[in-house]
Amino acid sequence: MKIVSDLLTSIEGIQIFYIVGLLIFVVLFIVITIRTMRMPDKEMENIKNSILADGESEEITTSN
Amino acid sequence: MENQKFYYDNKIVKLFILATLVWGVVGILVGILAAAQLAFPVFNFGLEYTTFGRVRPLHTNAIIFAFVGNAIFAGVYYSMQKLLKTRMFSDTLSKIHFWGWQTIIVLAAVTLLAGITTSKEYAELEWPIDIMITIIWVIFGWNMIGTLIVRRVQHIYAAIWWYLATFLGVAILHVVNSFELPISLFKSYSIYAGAQDAVVQWWYGHNAVAFFLTTPFLGLMYYYLPKAANRPIYSYKLSIIHFWSLIFLYMWAGPHHLLYQALPEWAQALGVTFSIMLIAPSWGGMINGLLTLRGAWDKVRDSAALKFLVVGVTAYGMSTFEGPMMSLKTVNQITHFTDWTIAHVHIAGMGWNGGLVFGMLYWLVPKLFKSKLFSEKLANIHFWMSTLAILLYAIPLYWAAVTQWLMWQEYTPEGFLAYPNFLETLTQIVPMYMVRVVAGFLFLGGFLIMVFNLAKTMKAGSFINNEASEAPALVLAGKRNPVTETVHRWMERKAVRFSILTFVALAIGGAVEIIPMIFIKSNVPTLESVTPYTPLELEGRDIYVAEGCYVCHSQMVRPFRWETDRYGEYSKIGEFVYDYPFQWGSRRTGPDLARAGVIGGPMYKNAAWHYNHFMDPQKMNEESIMPNYAWLAVKNVDVTMTPKKIRAMQTLGVPYEEGYDQKAVADLMAQAQTISDDLKASGIELAPEKQMIALIAYLHKLGRDIMSENAAVTEEHGETAEQQQAHEITLLDTPEDLEAGKKLYQANCVVCHGPEGKGIPPAFPSLVDDEWIKGNKPADVYHSIAEGNVAKGMIPYKNMLSEKQITQLASYVLITLHEQNQEK
Repeated sequence: MKIVSDLLTSIEGIQIFYIVGLLIFVVLFIVITIRTMRMPDKEMENIKNSILADGESEEITTSN
Repeated sequence: MENQKFYYDNKIVKLFILATLVWGVVGILVGILAAAQLAFPVFNFGLEYTTFGRVRPLHTNAIIFAFVGNAIFAGVYYSMQKLLKTRMFSDTLSKIHFWGWQTIIVLAAVTLLAGITTSKEYAELEWPIDIMITIIWVIFGWNMIGTLIVRRVQHIYAAIWWYLATFLGVAILHVVNSFELPISLFKSYSIYAGAQDAVVQWWYGHNAVAFFLTTPFLGLMYYYLPKAANRPIYSYKLSIIHFWSLIFLYMWAGPHHLLYQALPEWAQALGVTFSIMLIAPSWGGMINGLLTLRGAWDKVRDSAALKFLVVGVTAYGMSTFEGPMMSLKTVNQITHFTDWTIAHVHIAGMGWNGGLVFGMLYWLVPKLFKSKLFSEKLANIHFWMSTLAILLYAIPLYWAAVTQWLMWQEYTPEGFLAYPNFLETLTQIVPMYMVRVVAGFLFLGGFLIMVFNLAKTMKAGSFINNEASEAPALVLAGKRNPVTETVHRWMERKAVRFSILTFVALAIGGAVEIIPMIFIKSNVPTLESVTPYTPLELEGRDIYVAEGCYVCHSQMVRPFRWETDRYGEYSKIGEFVYDYPFQWGSRRTGPDLARAGVIGGPMYKNAAWHYNHFMDPQKMNEESIMPNYAWLAVKNVDVTMTPKKIRAMQTLGVPYEEGYDQKAVADLMAQAQTISDDLKASGIELAPEKQMIALIAYLHKLGRDIMSENAAVTEEHGETAEQQQAHEITLLDTPEDLEAGKKLYQANCVVCHGPEGKGIPPAFPSLVDDEWIKGNKPADVYHSIAEGNVAKGMIPYKNMLSEKQITQLASYVLITLHEQNQEK
C-alpha cells in the first residue's frame, strides 16, 4: 500500500467527503421522492399489473 | 406487430432448484453438528477436520453460498426470463454458471475442513477459489446484462433492479475484500492489516448480508409474492424510493460490527448513524410486501407458499428493526460477543431467507412441472415445524446472551468480578445450546418433508426443458419526452445507464468508509513498543488462523471495567499493525485472548498449562467445551515456507531487517528450543518443531508488547510482596465457609490443580501432599494464593478475591481436600 499512501496523509479536511456524500444522498432523495410521488397513478397501475399479464395468471387484479 | 416465438430455458431453473435442495440438507446438517459440538464437545470427534473452528465456517458458507445462493439463482433465472419475455442470453453462460458455482461449493467444503482458510468471516476461501468466484460471478452478470439487452419488454420491472444491485454489490465487495498476497496455492495474507483489515472485512461482512441475503430476496419478493397472491405489488412508488435509499445507505453501515473496538470514533459514529437510517428503506420493503396482501389475506389461509412468504417478510421486518437497535452502542455491548447476534442472524436466515425460498419453491415447482403441489397438508406441516424451529432456536439464544452478559459484568460487594472464571458464564448457558440442537432437528425435519413433497410433485408432473412462448419484438422508444415520461421511467428502459447509477450509489458508501481508513496515516496511531512477530510466532499465528480459533476466541478487550478486570488492558488500534489478517473475532464462546501473553495478567497461562489444555481440555476442567488439539503435538511446522512468509510480510510493509528471511528459520528453531526446554522442566517432552510449540509462542506474544511498563510494576510489586511477612490467619472451618471455599476452588483452581487437588506435577504442584514449596501453614497458603506465582502462570488472586474469600479457599485446601485425600 506504500505506493498510494501519499494520496491522503492527514485526517484534516476529510469530513468534506462525508458531507458531499450525504448531500448527494439527501438532495437525490428529496428529488426522487417528489418526482416519484407526482407520477400519475394510472401509469403505476399499468406497471404493477404488467408482471401478472404473462398469459399464465388466472386473472388480473387491479389495485383497490 | 407480429409476435416472435422463443423458448424459456426451464432446465437451468430446475438444476438450481435441485442444487438448492441438496445443499440445503447438507448446510442444515452441518449446522446441527456445529450446534451439537457446543453442547457436547465429544461431537468434535477428536479429529482435526471436524473441530468446531472448521465446521462453523463450513456451516455458514454452505447455508449462505450453497443453499441460499442456488435458490437465488433459481429464482432469478426463472423470473428474469418471464419478466423480460426472452430466453436467457446464453445457454453456455448459464451452464458454466451452474457447474462453476457447484465446483466452488465442493472446493469450499474440502478446503475449509482441511484448515485452508483466510479467517475472514464469510470470505474464508483462499485466493484460487476467490478468483474462481470472481470469474463465475462475472459470467452470471454477463448473462444477466445480456438478457436485459435482448429483452422484449420496454421497461425493467422492480425485481430486476434488485438483481442488478446484487450483481454489482457482491462484485465490489468480493473484489475489495479479497485482495491477498499469495504465499502458496493454499495460503495467502490479506493485504490489509489490523484495524484496516477489520474495517474492510466488516464492510464486506455487513454488506454480504445486504447484497447476498437482502437485495436478491427483495427482488424475489417483488416477483414471487405478487405472483403467488395474484395481486400487484402494493406501491410501485414506494419500490423506487426504498430501492435507491436502501442500496445507498447499506454500504455505510459496516462499522457497527466494531463498536467499542479499536477503531477511530468517527468510523463507529458513521456506522451507528447509517444503521439507524436503514430502518426506513428496510421497512419500506416490508410494508410493500405485506400490504400487497391487503384484501387477500384469505388466500394466505389456503396456501402454504403464501404463509412462508408472509413469515419471511415479517422476519425481515423484525430483523431490520433489531439490526439498527443492535447498532446502538449501549445495546451493542450486550449483543456483541454474545449469542444475541447468532439468534439475530438465524431469525433472518431461517425466517426471511428460508421463508422466501420455501414460499418460492412451493409456488414455482408445481408451475414448472405443470402439476399441483403433491400435498398442501405436508407443506402446512413444514410451515409449522419451520416456524416453531425458529422460535425454539432464537428464544433460548436470546436468553443465553442476556444471561452471559449479566454474568460477565456482575461484581461482588467487595468490588471483584462475581464470575472471574469465564467458563462459569458458559456452563450456565450450555442447556440453551442443547435446546438449539432440538430446534435444528425440527427445522431439518420440516425441510426433508418439503424435499419429499416437491419430489412427489416433480414425479407427478411433466417437465419441459424449453417452454415455448411468444411476444412482440422490442421497439426502441427513443428519446425521453419530458411531458409523458418521468426520469425514473426513462431510466427503467435504459439498462446500462440504470446499472451505472446503481454502481455509483453503491460505490459512494464503500469509498467514503474504506479509503480514509487505508490512506490516512493518523487513523492508525503507531505504538513504538509493538514489534513484528518472530518467525515462530508468525507460524503459530498461521496455525491459529487455520484452526479457526477466532471462531470462539476474540482478541479485542473493550474499554469496560468488567472487560479490563477480566482480561487486562483494553485494546488499542496501534497494537494490530502487523496483523495480516486481523483476529478480533465476533463471538466469545471462549475467553478473549488479546492478553494471553501478559505475564502476571489474569489471562496468562504457562507453556505446560497450554500443553495440557490442548491435549485434553476436559481433563483440565470437565465442563470445558473446547475440542482437544492433540495432533498439534504430532504435526511439525513447515519451516520451508518460513522465509517466503517473512518476505511476504516485508512486501506488506512489516519492518524486518533486509535479508532476515535467511536467518528466520534459525531464529525460529532457537525460540522453539526455549519453549521445548521450558516444557521439559515441567516434565513434558515435546520436540521444538511441533506445531503446538509455535502456537504457544504466538499466544505468549499476545498483548506482551504493550505490557512492558505494567509488567515491570507487577514484578517489582511481586518482589516486595515476597519480602513481606505473611500475616497470621485463622482457618474458617464452618460448613458454610468450606462450601464457599469449594465453589471458589472449582471456579479458579481446578483447571491446574485438579478436582482433588493432586495437580499435574511438576508443572502444577499437588496441594494434598506434604511437599509445599512455600510452606503449608495457613499463613503460607494464604500468601501463595494472594500473591500467586507469576513466573509459573499463577496470578495473584488478591486482585480477584476478597481477603475472606482467600481465607475460605485456603481453608478448603487445607481442611477438606486434605481430609479427602487421607481418607483415600
